[in-house]
Amino acid sequence: MERRVVITGCSGITPIGCSKADILKHLESGTSGVGRIRDDELLVEQLNTSVFGTVDEELAYDFPRKYRKTMGPVSLAACRVVDDVIKQSGLDRTFLSSGRVGVSFGSSHGSTVVLKKVYQACFNAQSTDMFSLSAADYLKSMVHTTAVNITRMFGITGRVISSPSACTTSSQSIGFGYEMIKFGVQDAMICGGSEEYDTTTVAVFDNLLACSTHYNDTPHKTPRPFDAERDGLVVGEGAGAVMLEEFESARKRGAVILGEVIGFSTNNNGGNLIMPDLAGVTQVLEMGLENAQINADQIDFISAHATATRIGDVIEARAINNVYGNKPWVSGLKSYMGHTIAACGVIETILTLYMMEKGFIVPTLNLDQVDDRCAMIRHTPQLMETNIQYAAVQNFAFGGINTSLILKRLFKK
Amino acid sequence: MDREEIQATIINFIETNFEMSDVGLDDDLNAVHGFDSIDAIELLREIETLMKTKLTRDEEEAAMTIRTVNQIVDFIEKAMAERA
Repeated sequence: MERRVVITGCSGITPIGCSKADILKHLESGTSGVGRIRDDELLVEQLNTSVFGTVDEELAYDFPRKYRKTMGPVSLAACRVVDDVIKQSGLDRTFLSSGRVGVSFGSSHGSTVVLKKVYQACFNAQSTDMFSLSAADYLKSMVHTTAVNITRMFGITGRVISSPSACTTSSQSIGFGYEMIKFGVQDAMICGGSEEYDTTTVAVFDNLLACSTHYNDTPHKTPRPFDAERDGLVVGEGAGAVMLEEFESARKRGAVILGEVIGFSTNNNGGNLIMPDLAGVTQVLEMGLENAQINADQIDFISAHATATRIGDVIEARAINNVYGNKPWVSGLKSYMGHTIAACGVIETILTLYMMEKGFIVPTLNLDQVDDRCAMIRHTPQLMETNIQYAAVQNFAFGGINTSLILKRLFKK
Repeated sequence: MDREEIQATIINFIETNFEMSDVGLDDDLNAVHGFDSIDAIELLREIETLMKTKLTRDEEEAAMTIRTVNQIVDFIEKAMAERA
């Protein structure tokens, strides 16, 4: 039995806003959320890059301590967006605790600020014979910390899936949640990802010469997906969640349906863990369409992974052209906020849902001169007032993992 | 450090770090204030800092049966006396 899966709630904490209104305002005005990286008193001075997708809004995490005590910043952000989507969906506590609702949520690491404290305690123990860690430190720093803190805070007793796969963490979370409902294992899944401010991630990309460095004095000019003058990615922070539900039960209870997930695919390149692979990416896009049972020419909009690395954007453009030709509009939404790593898939899904609802598509920010090697696809030239009936959200990760999510608009505009 | 000082230190630590209020000396910390095993382990680390020494595994296991602030203070006094 295959069941339809719809989205009945979505919420993001992003460098361009933490509410739907703020996010839409930034998108419509073409305002970047990239700024100067905050000082971490550890690595920042050694980095070549000085830009970061920062969440500047001071958010209140006024959860009771009994929940908060096992959360680092990565879980606090996760639980905040989940709180939003539960409220939006209107699902009650009895259903959440019925065993029919699960969580599919992840982060690149556990809380990195807590992990640093753990390592610090180890180094201190070498010199003082005192090894002092909080009992909660493991619960904050383990890799599935976001998923299980969500279950605890909201009383969710169904399946837990946590997929820490770097840049495909939250797109896999949505995809695996979709499959849980589609095949009748669960009736609803809370899906998403969270990425805590972390300069070690920046340092890794910086060392690989993958970070943008030419725009340190003009952060809003980078990243520049598909642009001839792009010089690398910009790491960011954020979180996002979507509520997925079985269509018939959502319809019967009168839930507001934001869109339908009609397809998902994921594969891996089976080779290089860093370099993108044209065959692997092309295959995952084809598999996504096959899973959705639609044709390539039905897709109106593609949210490209588009990190603005020199090679990655070219491979992605070629793969899009291989599968979709040059009919669908293509935008790289990381141009507005940088690369929020574990959160990027869900945030880009949320932005796509917002554009579906509002009937517009935003262009790739900073795309002033399309790189000739990326010119074979249909770049969105400016804000376009147009309806999206079908959209693809695609993401690719270190480790060679690729994903494609296919979304459909259900409501009438 | 006398008994009153230890009491004050422990109550201050619990109220400040565990966000519990009006903690009485004989309150059942779990039943009245929601004190759990995570809090207990954290408190043991604080006790080690206070005593400037590590607790033994047997002492830690004995401490896990403690229910009240008065019992915590008894535990600390006994551990300090054994090390004097």
